Amino acid sequence: MIAEAMSSALAGTDWVVFGSLAALAGCLALDETAAAQTWLSQPLPAALLAGAVAGDPALGLAVGLPLQLALTMNLPVGQTITGDVSGAAVAVVGAAAVGGSRPGWPIAPHDASLTGWLVLGAALLSLAGHPLVQAERRLHLVWMLQGHRTLRDGRLGRVDAIHGRCLAAGFLRGTLFAGAALLLVTTVWLPLHAMLPPVAGAAMAWLPWLAGALGLGAVAERYGALRHWRWVIGGLACGWLAGVVA
Amino acid sequence: MSRPGSPAAGAAIPHLPGRLRLRVFLRLLVLQASWNHQRMQNLGLLVSLMPWLSDRPRDAERDRLFCRRYYEFFNTNPYLAGYVVGGLLRLEQEREGQGGLPRGQAQVFRDSLARALASLGDQLFWLGLRPATLLLAAVLALLAGSAAPWPLAVLAVVVVGFQFAWRWRSLGRGYVAGYDIVELLGDRRWHRAITLGKRATLFLGAALAGLLLREAATGSVRTGAPAAVAVAALAACMAVPVAARRRWAGEFIVLTAAAAAVVLAFALGTEGS
Repeated sequence: MIAEAMSSALAGTDWVVFGSLAALAGCLALDETAAAQTWLSQPLPAALLAGAVAGDPALGLAVGLPLQLALTMNLPVGQTITGDVSGAAVAVVGAAAVGGSRPGWPIAPHDASLTGWLVLGAALLSLAGHPLVQAERRLHLVWMLQGHRTLRDGRLGRVDAIHGRCLAAGFLRGTLFAGAALLLVTTVWLPLHAMLPPVAGAAMAWLPWLAGALGLGAVAERYGALRHWRWVIGGLACGWLAGVVA
Repeated sequence: MSRPGSPAAGAAIPHLPGRLRLRVFLRLLVLQASWNHQRMQNLGLLVSLMPWLSDRPRDAERDRLFCRRYYEFFNTNPYLAGYVVGGLLRLEQEREGQGGLPRGQAQVFRDSLARALASLGDQLFWLGLRPATLLLAAVLALLAGSAAPWPLAVLAVVVVGFQFAWRWRSLGRGYVAGYDIVELLGDRRWHRAITLGKRATLFLGAALAGLLLREAATGSVRTGAPAAVAVAALAACMAVPVAARRRWAGEFIVLTAAAAAVVLAFALGTEGS
């Protein structure tokens, strides 16, 4: 029965788009720490890119925006990495776009409840990706220690090869995680949304707003909003007026 | 008056050859590819320095000692690593043919500079420019609506171009300055930029809060709840982290928001939603 439900959820899936999304997630996994760190792996750009690849950039914005506000203060410093948010964002946006779902938040007002459901799914997936990131780093340590042989024989090629292997491992980790997450969201998470009781559906419509507000509160806490209250008041007024003008 | 980190007037300015600079720059982009818990960026540093070594005739003993010098713990901010790498290349160049750079000298230069730049870089990039840029992107996304992908694409090109130009320049400046790179750390512009970045982040965060509250006041929160309730709920959520003085990871913020949303939906009843 489960197999039947999964195959019906996957019927008509565009596997080329799925593959492209998984490869995108691999590249973004590298961007998070290993290569360049251009910030394109942050939730908003990552979700927007996933939406563009899947043919619906507005959907990427709708999911990426609340996710970005909630995760702005996640710092990629040393050992504080919490999860694989870029892979999670690509998975939820990609799966929803391929499945033809049209969630929305201020930008594209369709199904606000589904937006909340996808944001919640992305947060859970990101946490699930944390052990994989840690495992990859432990693998780096093992490979790095193998490079000690170069300290004895001076063979530079070995060090180069180890570094390249670490890069490949990062890409592979991101690709496989996003591929598995895409399947999970398509076959389990999205169908579950239709079965939510009305209260939970209503709660999911609140979620993007509350997550965004809590995220902005975290920004205010980090930068001492009470000490710099003039900047806060000025920003609030400008934001309100910008909303009126727009 | 010469700028900090620049050679004195009249002195010949040493330059990193263009091809070597490009190769080192490209490798610097993957400085953290082999990041590990024990020695962090040590392998990345060695790999970044290797083009200089591979331009010289093969000497197994020299290569072995070179690797030994740079296989130890190393950690700095990736955007500012060019200063350290450029400086090390200059020191290696100056000691070429004299048995190479002594291990202790390389270690002191590398570690002291890396520590200082890690602190500056974390403040400037991770706590300043990065959140400010991302919040600016969020403001653009909210204001531009369905046309948002275009301004966001332009912003992404500007940000990535700035980062790459910065890294390219820092590598060259590190090489030109050599030991004098330490003077660069005393430049007041670092601290001005850090303060500006943090204030911009706070301002943009507040602007986003203003935008959200206005959306809520005009009934855009499509939960069926009255606008006043929506505004009060959002304002309360914004105040909670400030009042609690706690720093949660973003994923836990979403989970907390989910719990609060369920409570709110129950309290308001589903009929109105």
